[in-house]
Amino acid sequence: MAHTARFRAFAGLALAGAMTLSITACSAGSSDEGSAPAGDDIVTVGFVAVGPEGGWRTANEKNIQDSFSTENGFELKYAPATNGDQNSQITAFTSFIDEGVDVILLSATEATGWEDVLTRAQEAEIPVVLLDRGIEPNDESLYTSRIAPDNVGISASAAEWANSQFPDGANYVVLEGPPGLSVVNDRNKGWDANVADNLVKLESQSANWSTEEAKSVFETMLKANGNNIQLVFAQNDEMGLGAALAVEEAGLKPGTDVKIITIDGTKAALEALAAGRLSFVAEYNPLFGDDAISVVNAALAGDSVESSIVVPSTTFDSPEAATTALPDRQY
Amino acid sequence: MSAPVSRQPSAVQFVTRLFHQPYVWAIVALILLLVINLTKNPGYLGVSVNPATGNLSGNVIDILRASAPIMMIAVGMTLVIATRGIDLSVGSVMAVAGAVSMEFMNNAGTGSFGTAAIAVILALGISAVLGTLNGILVSIVGLQPFITTLVMMLAGRGLAKVITSGQNTSATNESFRWLANGTVLGFPVVFVIAVVIVAVLAALVRRTALGLMIESIGINPKAARMAGIRPVGILISVYIVSAVLAGVAGIFSTASVMTVEVAKTGMTAEMDAILAVVIGGTSLAGGKFSLTGSIIGALLIATLDKTIVYMSIPSSATPAFKAIVIVVICLLQSPRVRALFNQRKATTTSTRKEAVSA
Repeated sequence: MAHTARFRAFAGLALAGAMTLSITACSAGSSDEGSAPAGDDIVTVGFVAVGPEGGWRTANEKNIQDSFSTENGFELKYAPATNGDQNSQITAFTSFIDEGVDVILLSATEATGWEDVLTRAQEAEIPVVLLDRGIEPNDESLYTSRIAPDNVGISASAAEWANSQFPDGANYVVLEGPPGLSVVNDRNKGWDANVADNLVKLESQSANWSTEEAKSVFETMLKANGNNIQLVFAQNDEMGLGAALAVEEAGLKPGTDVKIITIDGTKAALEALAAGRLSFVAEYNPLFGDDAISVVNAALAGDSVESSIVVPSTTFDSPEAATTALPDRQY
Repeated sequence: MSAPVSRQPSAVQFVTRLFHQPYVWAIVALILLLVINLTKNPGYLGVSVNPATGNLSGNVIDILRASAPIMMIAVGMTLVIATRGIDLSVGSVMAVAGAVSMEFMNNAGTGSFGTAAIAVILALGISAVLGTLNGILVSIVGLQPFITTLVMMLAGRGLAKVITSGQNTSATNESFRWLANGTVLGFPVVFVIAVVIVAVLAALVRRTALGLMIESIGINPKAARMAGIRPVGILISVYIVSAVLAGVAGIFSTASVMTVEVAKTGMTAEMDAILAVVIGGTSLAGGKFSLTGSIIGALLIATLDKTIVYMSIPSSATPAFKAIVIVVICLLQSPRVRALFNQRKATTTSTRKEAVSA
């Protein structure tokens, strides 16, 4: 028992030490700031990010980090979420407010629950720019601007392609991301509004953006429907690649027996499209660091900023298109 | 395990003994789920040879394949829980094992059998190291297992991200892919490997005094020490076994798609493992454990996942559906509910006896 008592004393000491450290860190941080609006000084930017998630996210966050570089006059503080947890994002967000950064960039892991912290940022007069992920309810007074590719438009273009490929109708399934995300809702909205009536949706399941889960889910979908599925709408590249594996495993041929649509346009997906394993890849352009910089500068200068800025994206509908695009693909 | 000598026929004896096992409701639930699937399609349980690939294919085969990784982590978790511990790091260890093997094969470039073998050895080696760390922190330093393995869970996923520099990494290697997608005598390789590993472990634990020692540490560590059992070695080896099995699970799940998704591989796997253990009737308070129960728990979880997709349950409702099934099983297994059942059975049998004697 003496053993535990000694350990407890040690743990207490360590905890006290850690707290003093963090207190000094806080005070040091705030004394630096104070009067640092946009001037010749370095602009501190807090980036509440999602963290490693897949090829698209990595490209996007790297692009933001590269754009807000010291050469361009920024100091970027990168705070990825711990395992996609919203709470860790809110904690990072509030500590950026307390630190008094000049701008906060936010890619929210969940759409809802941001009102409180956004109001706090507003009270502290810190402009907030939403990157990629939107918030729900979408109260535009709470943030400066949202920069993102148009999810609804992108999935609408995917639906148009599907309509043109299957004029006589077909059975299809949807592989979604986790329910509740604004991306998932938007990609469903654009697809459902534009897909033709003679395309029959057999079912829609979440595969959590994951190749492994998508493979497992789609192999069961094929069995449940006796292989009578002609089209898969996968809401990201990874899930589409998983579905392609399941199709091959079932002894069918992706591209001829089952056509697979994916969104994102990462290198792996374009390679698969070039090899004929995917049929249609809609790009969701992750490279909008320059747009973000101009929005941040305008906001700090007090200029008015569009509340929604759409990043242009393209689509790839053939192996040839993918082969041409591949050499320049950055992500 | 020595059954009392009785004059009952052995089949009846077997059934009555089965009904006294805590995992009987898990078996009932498993059968119920299969029946639900059968109502949608009477051919659900059918297994046929796929003309295009020459492999056996069928829903049962899919379930066996999907259950193999869960089985691995559930068996390791059972042993850890039996010592009154818990291992929250299994999911992260899966990711680390997957990351190491994929990164190695990606860099090695050759798709040879040798590369695959080295990848497996490397993955299992690093898993064992992580397990040893867990074991030392728990047994020698005396940290709480919950905290120790929670730290390892966060650190492990970080390590996986460092190994692959935050990227999802893919590789091509036919031998490695065969592990998860191939078949042996018609059965999925993963399932065969899992069964062999479980059989060896079960023999080791139940044919020697090792199992009893593990249980005694879980029931009363002090008394166990007084009785001459040295807990340090046993604790360390239990955590190593759990981590190595998690490494095997990580190899299984990355080999299936030949990609490690650092943020997804093994995510919430620790929850599946703990669930499988609890469904199998092992108490989280430690002590007596049942490997058979955990294996049935793992099969149940895999069947449940597959049923959700097969029955086209909307994706927003799947967590609720899963939760309801599991809550019902846990309720049926709880001592109070079981006591209630036994009471009713006791009263009916006693009244019947009275009726006979009267």
